Amino acid sequence: MTEEHIGDSGYTLEQLSDYLDRGRQPAIDAIDRDAECQSVLASLERYGSLSRELVSRDATEHPTLDESWLSGLFASITREVKAGRDIPLASIDPLTRLTITEGAIRGLVRAAGDSVAGVLVGKCSLDGDDEIAVTVTISVLLGTPVHVAAEAVRQSVYTALLKHTELSIASVDVLVEDVHVIAPQGDAS
Amino acid sequence: MTDLSAATDALLAERAADGDEIAFGVLVRRHGPFLRAFATRLTGSAADADDVVQDALIAAWSQLENLTEPAKVRSWLTSIVSRKATDRIRARKTSSELDENLAEIIERGPENRAIASSQLDALSAVLSGLPEGQRQCWILKEVGGYSYEEIAERLETTVAVVRGRLARARATVVTEMEVWR
Repeated sequence: MTEEHIGDSGYTLEQLSDYLDRGRQPAIDAIDRDAECQSVLASLERYGSLSRELVSRDATEHPTLDESWLSGLFASITREVKAGRDIPLASIDPLTRLTITEGAIRGLVRAAGDSVAGVLVGKCSLDGDDEIAVTVTISVLLGTPVHVAAEAVRQSVYTALLKHTELSIASVDVLVEDVHVIAPQGDAS
Repeated sequence: MTDLSAATDALLAERAADGDEIAFGVLVRRHGPFLRAFATRLTGSAADADDVVQDALIAAWSQLENLTEPAKVRSWLTSIVSRKATDRIRARKTSSELDENLAEIIERGPENRAIASSQLDALSAVLSGLPEGQRQCWILKEVGGYSYEEIAERLETTVAVVRGRLARARATVVTEMEVWR
């Protein structure tokens, strides 16, 4: 049935499919002027978008993930800690080499930044070995004064790193990358 | 405890790449149902879909650092799911027994098409009734958005075969959906 020509165009459905997938370029007059071809092309596009809708509907109809499936997944994930490189800490004893992982520092930075009201920390990068330059991206809750929030994050991160690590901090830069709104079911406090 | 449910995909993906398991968990709960639905349509089996999505998410966790556009984390996850799903499809090629779930989908297929309550139900039945190879090509093309070349590579076949399967799938879909036009 795919060998049949559509309308008077002289093109088969397979060729029409190809034409559609090429974005109808270069334009073929015989297809563009043929009503039946146009209707088939429109149907194909429509069933394509309906297919995407169908998968979204499947997802909406089964919105919950099985708890045992989730715990299996998280068990595998927790096994693979993203430690990153080791960063040396200052040590009083010259024979001891103390290090902290990037992963641990990032965890501290996230917690410190998140503790500022209306702020969520995104990415945290750590540059340098002896003197660490910390860059944190944040998203602020819509309505939160951006400058105040950024400065509070800078202070909080700096204080946390001084308190919990012996790192020498060259700088803490805060980049406001995003603004978020409270999710409908989210906690507004 | 920080409430991450308001966070954007991009922020969650960045945090997850930095090792935040909680942020990854929020992404999983947010997109898991879609990924599972996609994998189910692709593999034709809910059980396979669960395995495939789990494998894909474990792989995603270790590759998050390579995600260049965190805002597109969902389509990135979808592409990992489609890779894992096609691996699974190839692996079971030899033992092509029909999963109960797929059999069930097909059962309520063609005969009931006329009384399908909506166009989506009708399309669902038509797609489920397609031969496996055609259905996979259709889902990868129309839902996954992949090119013929990518689909051929994933299914370890030729572009000509993919083109042929898609054309046949399209012919069937267009014909059987005629009543809904």
